Amino acid sequence: MSTPITRFRRRSLASRAIGTDAAVWRMDGLLFVAVAALSTISTLLVWSSTRTWTAVEPTGMLKKHLLILCIGAVLCGLVSMVDHRRLRAYAPVAYAAGLALLALVVTPVGSTVNGSHSWIMLGGGFAMQPSELAKPALILLLAMLLSEPAEGTDRPRPLDVALSLVAAGLTMGLVMLQPDLGTTMVLTVITGSVLVFSGIRKRWIALVVVVAVVAAALVWILGLLQPYQVARFTAFMNPASDPRGFGYNATQSLIAIGSGEIYGKGLFEGGQTTGRFVPEQHTDFIFTVAGEEFGFLGALTVVVLLGVVLVRGITIARQCDDRFGALVAASIVCWFAFQTFINVGMTIGIMPITGLPLPFVSYGGTATLANMISVGMLQAIHSGRRT
Amino acid sequence: MLRLGNPRRRINIALMAMAVVLSLFAGRLVQLQGLNSKTFQAKAADQRVTPEVLPAKRGSITDVNGNELAVTADAREIYLDPKEVKETQRELIATTLSAELGKPKEGIAAKLAQVDKRYMVVARDVDPLVARKIMGMGFRGVGSKPTYRRLYPGGTLAGGLVGFVGDDGFGLEGLEQAYNKTLAGQDGQQSIEIGRGGERIPMTRSTRVAPVPGRDLRLTIDRYIQWAAYEAIAKQVKAVGARSGSVIVMDVKTGQILAMANAPEVDLRNWQATSAEDRGNKAAAEVFEPGSTNKVITAAAALEAGVVAPSTIFTVPDNIQCADKVLRDAHPHPTEQMTFAQILEESSNVGTIMAGTKITDQRLHNMFTAFGFGAKSGGSIPSEEAGLLPDWQDWSGSQRCTIMYGQGISVTALQMASVYQTIANGGVRLTPTIVAGTTDEKGHLVPAAPPKQTRVISELTARQLASMLEKAVAGADGTGGAAAIEGYRVAGKTGTAMRYDQKCGGYCGYTATFVGFTPAEAPRLMALAVIQDPKKDHYGGTIAAPVFQEVMTFALKTKKIPPTGSTSLLR
Repeated sequence: MSTPITRFRRRSLASRAIGTDAAVWRMDGLLFVAVAALSTISTLLVWSSTRTWTAVEPTGMLKKHLLILCIGAVLCGLVSMVDHRRLRAYAPVAYAAGLALLALVVTPVGSTVNGSHSWIMLGGGFAMQPSELAKPALILLLAMLLSEPAEGTDRPRPLDVALSLVAAGLTMGLVMLQPDLGTTMVLTVITGSVLVFSGIRKRWIALVVVVAVVAAALVWILGLLQPYQVARFTAFMNPASDPRGFGYNATQSLIAIGSGEIYGKGLFEGGQTTGRFVPEQHTDFIFTVAGEEFGFLGALTVVVLLGVVLVRGITIARQCDDRFGALVAASIVCWFAFQTFINVGMTIGIMPITGLPLPFVSYGGTATLANMISVGMLQAIHSGRRT
Repeated sequence: MLRLGNPRRRINIALMAMAVVLSLFAGRLVQLQGLNSKTFQAKAADQRVTPEVLPAKRGSITDVNGNELAVTADAREIYLDPKEVKETQRELIATTLSAELGKPKEGIAAKLAQVDKRYMVVARDVDPLVARKIMGMGFRGVGSKPTYRRLYPGGTLAGGLVGFVGDDGFGLEGLEQAYNKTLAGQDGQQSIEIGRGGERIPMTRSTRVAPVPGRDLRLTIDRYIQWAAYEAIAKQVKAVGARSGSVIVMDVKTGQILAMANAPEVDLRNWQATSAEDRGNKAAAEVFEPGSTNKVITAAAALEAGVVAPSTIFTVPDNIQCADKVLRDAHPHPTEQMTFAQILEESSNVGTIMAGTKITDQRLHNMFTAFGFGAKSGGSIPSEEAGLLPDWQDWSGSQRCTIMYGQGISVTALQMASVYQTIANGGVRLTPTIVAGTTDEKGHLVPAAPPKQTRVISELTARQLASMLEKAVAGADGTGGAAAIEGYRVAGKTGTAMRYDQKCGGYCGYTATFVGFTPAEAPRLMALAVIQDPKKDHYGGTIAAPVFQEVMTFALKTKKIPPTGSTSLLR
């Protein structure tokens, strides 16, 4: 089915939302269900892990989380109604806005929370983390730049590749100033994925990889990493070396998940969760709540649901008939995949401790909104495909 | 459709990579939550679960009418978690707790300073209302835990008999110690879970073994008689400057002890204030040479052997040679003609020896044993001693004579009381009883087993002795005149013994005793008063008999025993 772009301009919002040919009827149902299920589980896990914080208002964090989810759902819905090809036009604006917010963090407007200087206080108990919004913004810009193949080829123009690297470098540079190693890694993965899927030559890929490895080595050798980052890595290699420090997180994470056994202890019944043995349990270590209270079945469900999101994302990328949409979709998937792997991997002891949230599950306002906007883009790409 | 070619293949590779990683995760979860889950469970329990003792409520001790002598009440333990206490609040907390709990401020401050500790007890036995007030102040790091405290409403009432518990709630003296197992019950246990911050995790599935409350103990003691006994002996001990004294009142027909008082008596509400030697139950624990009260046993042995009768006439000088020693009567007197009854009435040592030498040492010894000397009474009376009855073959030359009038032999007040109960009960000894019963698990009273009955002497002998003892009180030359009670016939015997004192390594001071029963013709109650080491006066007839008189008068009224006519009619 083919819909001329011009028709969208004349139609009302309501008609576009629920009309017979509206995007909502053409969206990816499985993706929707998976995200909705993850959000539901996330709500329970956030509730369970934050209800013991204060006796006065045990549902305080739960309410905030639900509010964010509602806002996220609305944003997701709005974005999914947009023809993804029009997103291209917004890409430079989105990128510029993201960069501006990141720059704002470096100024005195930015705040430090939990030792990371990556926040802008909004008042009313809300704060935003611009580095989260920078992820989809960078995806849009890179996809825009690299989706235009050079004359007569399938590959992007060298100038666009160079521009992309500059754009990515700017964003990463500002994030590194915070410093936020985890997000920098995510941005690296995003940049890499767009480059790879844009069809650049293998030797270019190899070159980028070599540069990345050399850069990483330099960072290590020159001592640019903060001492805590080194300590985290050491603790990952040998958790017992420092059971009360960074190894503590790793050890407690395993204990919480392992003690959940097959069926879990039940919601609110996890002693390790209720006793708050695992630090940052509503954000970075939320997977341990699933592991302890919902057991193997619950943890596996979360993994499977995330897998569904990733597979549907990849499918959307493959089915998309324009390079921009395909690149955006594929890159979003790589971003989600990377954070999922790092986060789940760290809680089950096969990755070092890195402060990255689990997509759709961890508590976190800006991250949730960025994820939801990105799912909206995936839906837009899905419903906008010409089949 | 656009030909993506190369990029499409790359997307497929990415898809496969994701599948591999996710499968790896699933495998790892199987390992963690399936294969190794027990290890993690154990680690989790190890750092979270703490066993907590649920104290069992200790049974109460009551008198025969259910009046509480020892009772357990709810209390709170106030403790500190110094690590949690804010440094700026330390001073305030120390001041407040000191004022509320009456503990020295320095001690609390010292506990607060140990910031690496998580549990420091400030006070046990805290009144729940006080604890609630303290907890209401909302200090971080100050906690309250339910516990029990032992209360002794009677204070000194039967203090030595009831005994007391230590800080850990374990019986240290008296019945509290002797019946600790019955009273204590069985502590329960529950596993509580403690979070990382030391806070308690509310869990619905914690394992709990409920405590089994202790059984109540009902004594045969009558609170009012006990109080009268204590008042009388305490007053007299003070008046004559004595070291100590004891009173026992017993029901002749049941062997039940109605009162067992000591002076000084430990105040159970503040037992630490009493010196260690005075905390016990002297009436059963203190061993002394009885003196003339012992003569009834010599008389019983002689009467039972048929070698004398109450009317048998003896020619009695005021001294007699026995082995290497000359033994004398208390007061010099010319040689007189005396009946055996008069010998007992006037408490002549020489006359008693003359009668006693008519029987063999072995026979005399057997009579002592039959009356319960040299052994514990068998009634599980707390801190009871067995006394000292040397075997007859070991009696030294003069010891066989002195034993007849109660020197060279050691008994407890309880043992002597048992002798007079036996005589009063027509020759049948009943095991002295202090516990009337215990409650079962439902709280119903289960009466104690009836006392063991042993015939010691014939009914005739018992009647003859009673009659002789009545003369010792009412007779013109009787030594126990001060024990007479208006309206009742009283039988009894005085005792004035030289007291062996380890401190001076020999006989220093005296033991004054009076023991008897009423009504003499149909005995119901017996009582014994003993006073150790009095400084002013020392005769049983003058200092112990009035105590007997006072206590017995009160006991007769309390037990509503009707008067049957004064002994004075016999005079």
